[in-house]
Amino acid sequence: MDRETRRAVEEYRHTQAGPIENNLVDELVGGELDREEFIRRAAVFGLGAGTIGMLLRYVGEADLAFGAPTAAAQRRGGTLRVGTVAYGRGLEPYQLQEAGSLGLAGIPGEYLTFTNPKLVVKPWLATEWRPNAALTVWTFQLRRGVKFHNGKTFNADDVVASFRQYLNQKSSQILGAIPESLLGPEGVVKTGPYTVQFRLKSPNNSFPFLVSQTTYQAIIQPAAIAARPDTWVSGGMIGTGPFRLRSQNKQRAELVRFPNYWGGSPPLDGVRITFYESAAPMVLALRAGQLDLVVQMSPQQARTFRNNSRYRVYNAPNSSHNMFGLRVDREPFRDPRVRRAIALTLNRPDIINRVLLGAGTLGNDSPFWSGFPSTHPSIKQRRQNLALARALLQAAGQESLKFTITTHNQFDVPDFATAVQAAGRQAGIEIDLNVMTYDDYYSAVGGGDYNTTTPWLNAPATITEYGFRGVPNLYLTAAYVTNGIWNASKYSNSDFDSVARTYLGSAEVAAQRRATRRMAGLLLRDTPVITAYFLNFVGAGTSRVRNYQADAISHIRVAKTFLAS
Amino acid sequence: MARYVAKRLGLALITLVLLSVIVFAAAQLLPGDLGRSVLGREVSDEAVAEYNREHGLDRPIVVQYLDWASGAVRGDLGNSLVPPEEPVWIVLRPALVNSLKLALYAFVLVVPFGILGGVIAGLNAGRLGDRAITIFGLPLAVIPDFITGLVLILVFAIWLGWLPVTAQWDEGAGPLTQVKYLTLPALALAIVLFGYIARITRAGVIEALDADYTRTAYLKGLPEGTVIRRHVLRNALLPTIAVIATQVGYLLGGLLAIELMFNYRGIGLTVIEAATLKDYNMLAAGVLVIGFAYVLVTLVADILFALLNPRIRYEAIE
Repeated sequence: MDRETRRAVEEYRHTQAGPIENNLVDELVGGELDREEFIRRAAVFGLGAGTIGMLLRYVGEADLAFGAPTAAAQRRGGTLRVGTVAYGRGLEPYQLQEAGSLGLAGIPGEYLTFTNPKLVVKPWLATEWRPNAALTVWTFQLRRGVKFHNGKTFNADDVVASFRQYLNQKSSQILGAIPESLLGPEGVVKTGPYTVQFRLKSPNNSFPFLVSQTTYQAIIQPAAIAARPDTWVSGGMIGTGPFRLRSQNKQRAELVRFPNYWGGSPPLDGVRITFYESAAPMVLALRAGQLDLVVQMSPQQARTFRNNSRYRVYNAPNSSHNMFGLRVDREPFRDPRVRRAIALTLNRPDIINRVLLGAGTLGNDSPFWSGFPSTHPSIKQRRQNLALARALLQAAGQESLKFTITTHNQFDVPDFATAVQAAGRQAGIEIDLNVMTYDDYYSAVGGGDYNTTTPWLNAPATITEYGFRGVPNLYLTAAYVTNGIWNASKYSNSDFDSVARTYLGSAEVAAQRRATRRMAGLLLRDTPVITAYFLNFVGAGTSRVRNYQADAISHIRVAKTFLAS
Repeated sequence: MARYVAKRLGLALITLVLLSVIVFAAAQLLPGDLGRSVLGREVSDEAVAEYNREHGLDRPIVVQYLDWASGAVRGDLGNSLVPPEEPVWIVLRPALVNSLKLALYAFVLVVPFGILGGVIAGLNAGRLGDRAITIFGLPLAVIPDFITGLVLILVFAIWLGWLPVTAQWDEGAGPLTQVKYLTLPALALAIVLFGYIARITRAGVIEALDADYTRTAYLKGLPEGTVIRRHVLRNALLPTIAVIATQVGYLLGGLLAIELMFNYRGIGLTVIEAATLKDYNMLAAGVLVIGFAYVLVTLVADILFALLNPRIRYEAIE
């Protein structure tokens, strides 16, 4: 390391870095963070690329590499034909909840930050961000020179108006990711023409994740449109994205290149999205050459495109998973030995191979996916052990255990339920399946109170799917802590709650890892929820489609995509 | 004849009113509620209750029905209850037009060939032509339309690459382009219906050929062509017309598998989506439109029946 770098780092630590940044540097210097994890955390806390490179040089690591643009190989022109699933609900940003609608809205619409597949938060419409020491105020610097499709210049007013609209409506889907208890509409404040502050009600160590595309409702729209809710779609879905909307209905959407895009004029002339009511015809259309790209399909459907040079299969590991919850407040699951025994019957690698054809990563009965930087690497993986399962059942007096799993008939869930049923049989457990329709599973029963009657929160054993999140925070606060809104297992452990609070208030990854190790230990012991695997996001396209990266949320990121000749 | 038509019209009207009552009542039996269905599992109970209240679902079912029915009588089917809450007719009209196009194309393909096949088979009962049509027609009629559709896709779209899989043409496409996009789904339907129509026609022809009036016609020296045209076909086609009429409801509203397979947004898919989302206004209106089309076609079939067979209209009036 040269003297200049050392002096620059010392100056940075004294004059610019706050306690969070200094802790981060200490963790890097102390070897607690490897290169990749350091970059990830540094990005979360808003360190610029120059600073990150300087700090890497400081500890003897190679500087950040910037890939040379491949413009020479890019071919301009052509319309990308994309197939995705149809949507039935709204297209306004605050209404987004379906793959089809959020995929469409996320092309003309853009977000403050971008969570990349390695879970690094990258600048998007915001260029820098920084928290206060208590992690309760996050200040974002916005990109200058960005134009909306209607010619308006993007600034702080647009961010404030957009977020206030989304946070101000009871029916807003954004409240699932940014609940009222974390941020109210009045907490979004303009502090300069290109500076916005988010003043949180409680500390949050990962707020930049929450304003990235993983919170797919958080699209920035022009302030004048955002001030009038429910006018974004009728106004032409005006955003800052690489393509602007030409027409849309529930069958098809046409988007054309936005030549003034701040990230450079996109190679494609346009994008045509066809919405399909089911996946099979979409797959057939790709085979027949009517589509260039199918955003998502099942691993079984993707199998036909593997080992075929005319196609490319996209496989993105992520944190989506099924929670197999066992109600700890009811027999026969009161005894944790029974719950552990059920978990021990599962041959997880085999289930991943059979149910997902290998397109998944191992689950360990906690929401801590191995791809999360906060997941402690030393957490021991639970494996199948039928002898121990039988012994635990015997010790608990449940040798002839019998119960019913209530779940729904969508995605991989029924296959997983069947695999659990078969696994239980090996240890003498008799499991019945109550596979309901998706609507029945998520509805109140007999018009009663939702939270106390809906099957997914009240049946003794349930399997419920959870979508991708960049951090495990929501899984923890909703499904594991005492009285969490989606705590289907009714798990209640004050030690766990306390460690979860520590985790949520920790900025340093080392502290977060200590917390996840402790929480994972408690969850393995108590096993209120069994998580056998995390699902990969699978899509496919023809080999002509270049520079496309599958996004685990169903966004269609095509700013740099081109069609090879 | 006018009295006969008036009576049929009256019955059709009663059928439609009953249908609307049944659909509206049955829709209430669907699990879950509109607010939760639209807003998803992540929003609060208060937000769901507010959504339901805003859309008038907290009112008694009778009040909801009368409100909806009074609008329907005036030609106002209301708005969809699901965002973006467009007028129901704005959504239903293109779906109905799509269904009519597909049904018409399938009819154009199947009716002449089905009747011709049935007549040829009937006139040649027991001979090679009859056996060929019967043997090929039977399996075609019993194979589900989605299997037929899949085979057609594999052969004509994937292997040969002649026709598109997805029956969606670009905006402003001409009639010939639309015909190209609709060929595979229409063919799938025509194949299923061919065996059915041909067999019914064949049975009618054989029965008419055996009838006394045919024998009399031959005995009084009429040429064979005249006997077949004026006596055999006129009577043999009565059951065929009834069969074709009953297929109209299926072709308009019951093509879910075909619409799904070819991603063709007809009225069947629209109604199913409405049922899934608990969009009661859309569901009731969609079923009513299908019912109306069905009643209308049945009425036309009845009138045709009466024209072909005067006994029917006299019996009906009596």
